[in-house]
Amino acid sequence: MQLTDTDLIIQAQKGDQSAFEELVYRYDRNVLSITMRYAFNEDDAKDLYQEVFIRVYRGLKNFRFQSEFSTWLFRITTNVCLTYKSSSKEHLRVSINNYGDDENEFATQEELTYKGSSPEEISSGSDLGEIVNAAVESLSPKQRMTFVLKHYEGYKIREIAEMLNCKEGTVKKYLFDAIRNLRKKLSPVYA
Amino acid sequence: MKHNEYKQLLQLSLFGELKSEEQLKLKEHLLTCEECRTELEDQKNLLELISGKKKAEVDEKVLTAARYQLRGALRSEIANKNIFGSTIDSIAQFFITPLKFAVVSATMLLFGILVGSLLFSKSSGEELATQNENENRFASLSEEISISNLRFIDSDASDGEVEFTFQASRPVRLRGKVNDPQIQSVLTYAMLNEQNPGSRLNSINAMDTEFPTQYDQDVKEALVTVVMSDKNPGVRREALKLMSKFPYDESIKQALLYVITNDTVSGLRIEALNSIIAAGSRGYKLNNEELNLFRQQMQDDENPYIKLRSKSILQEYN
Repeated sequence: MQLTDTDLIIQAQKGDQSAFEELVYRYDRNVLSITMRYAFNEDDAKDLYQEVFIRVYRGLKNFRFQSEFSTWLFRITTNVCLTYKSSSKEHLRVSINNYGDDENEFATQEELTYKGSSPEEISSGSDLGEIVNAAVESLSPKQRMTFVLKHYEGYKIREIAEMLNCKEGTVKKYLFDAIRNLRKKLSPVYA
Repeated sequence: MKHNEYKQLLQLSLFGELKSEEQLKLKEHLLTCEECRTELEDQKNLLELISGKKKAEVDEKVLTAARYQLRGALRSEIANKNIFGSTIDSIAQFFITPLKFAVVSATMLLFGILVGSLLFSKSSGEELATQNENENRFASLSEEISISNLRFIDSDASDGEVEFTFQASRPVRLRGKVNDPQIQSVLTYAMLNEQNPGSRLNSINAMDTEFPTQYDQDVKEALVTVVMSDKNPGVRREALKLMSKFPYDESIKQALLYVITNDTVSGLRIEALNSIIAAGSRGYKLNNEELNLFRQQMQDDENPYIKLRSKSILQEYN
C-alpha cells in the first residue's frame, strides 16, 4: 500500500532520507514545471527547483500539518520564484525588493527592454517564441507568477490565492493586469 | 451589471472560472454587445498565441538532472549540518572559553577592570596553560583577546549594576599529528568555513600527508562537501585529491558523479571521471541512472576527452 504524504513526512521528520526523497518525487515534476515556466531558462529553473526543496528539507521538521503538504510546498515554490533574481544576463531584471506589495505593480521600463523586440521586429514576426517569452517575462513577478499558475499550470484562482497567501480578488487583479500588459506588448503580433 | 464588469467576466470565462449563472449572463450580454464580442475574440487570440508557446510536459532529462543536483545539494546540506555541529562542539570543548558571558558587574566604569580581572586574568590563562601542558598539545600565543558583538541586557547603571553579553576570542596555536582527532576537527572546520580560499586550501593540504593516517569520518564528509560546493576550483581540486585517499564508497561515488556533471572546470571533471573509471576497474559498478548521466555527458560535455571516455564507459557496460 502506498504511504500517504503524512506518513512520509513523519518518517522524514525522523531523519528517513528515502521518505523525503519519495515526497520530493511525488511533487517535483509540478515544481519544476512552474519554475521552468517562470524562469524561461533551464539553469535558473533547476536552481529554483533546488532552492525550493532545500527550504522544504530545512522546514519539514517544523511542519505541523496545519495545511496540506502540497499547499505548503507550492507556497514555498511561489515565494522562491518571486524573490529570485536571475543569473542570466540576457534579460534585464530588477530585484523583487523594488516592487513592494503594490497590487498595481508594473515592470519598469528597463525590464521591458528586450533584445530584438522592437515594434518593427515584432511586426515582421521574427522569432515569435522569444517575443512571447519576453512579453511574459516583462510582467512584474506577481503578475507573471499568477499568469503562469493560471494559464500554464491550470490552477484555480482559489488555489493560487492559497499559494500566494492573498485574497482571490487580489489574484484576479494580478491576472487582469497581466492580460492587459500582455495585450499591450503582443498586440502587433496577433491583432 | 456594468459594461466593465462584463469585461472582467470575459477574462474569467476564458480561464474557466465562471459560475454557470455568470456564464449565462455573459452569454446574453455578448448577443447584444459588439464591443465585448470583439474583446472576447481579441483575448482568445492572445491566449492562443501564448498557449502555442507552452511546452506540454517537463523534459525528463531536465528533471533527472535537477533531481541529481538536488541530491548533491542535500548531501552537502546534511554534511554541513553534521560537521558544523560536531566541530563546534569539539572546538568549544578544547579552545574557547564560553562565547557568551552574562556578566553582572558593578558599573560601566568597571568594565575594563572586570573583563581583565575576572575573565582574562592571568589565572584563567594559567588554567588553560596547565591543561595544555598536560596534554602537550597547544599553548596560547598571547593574552590578546578581541571582544566583539557587545550587547547590553541592562545598560542602566542607576542601581550600580549593568548586564551585557559579548563574544571573546583569542589566537590559539595548536601542534600535533594529523592523526589527532582534534587537529582533524579544526582543519575540517576550517576547510568548510574559512572565508579565505588560501586558508581552506592549506587546511586540506595539511591533512594530505604521506604518513599512514587514520581519518575521521567527518573529514571525508567535509571533503565531499568541498568537492561539490566550494567556489574556488583550486580548493576543489585539492579536496578531490585528498578524497582519493579514502576507501571508495557510495558518497564518494556520488561526489565524483556530481563533479563530472556539474563542475565548470574540465580538468576537475576529467579527474573525477578517471577516479570513477579506476573504481570501475576495481569492481565498483554504476547503476542505470548513473549510466544515463554519462549518456547525457557524452552528448553535452564540451570537452572531447570527456565525451570519448563517457562513450567508452557506456560501451563497456553494453
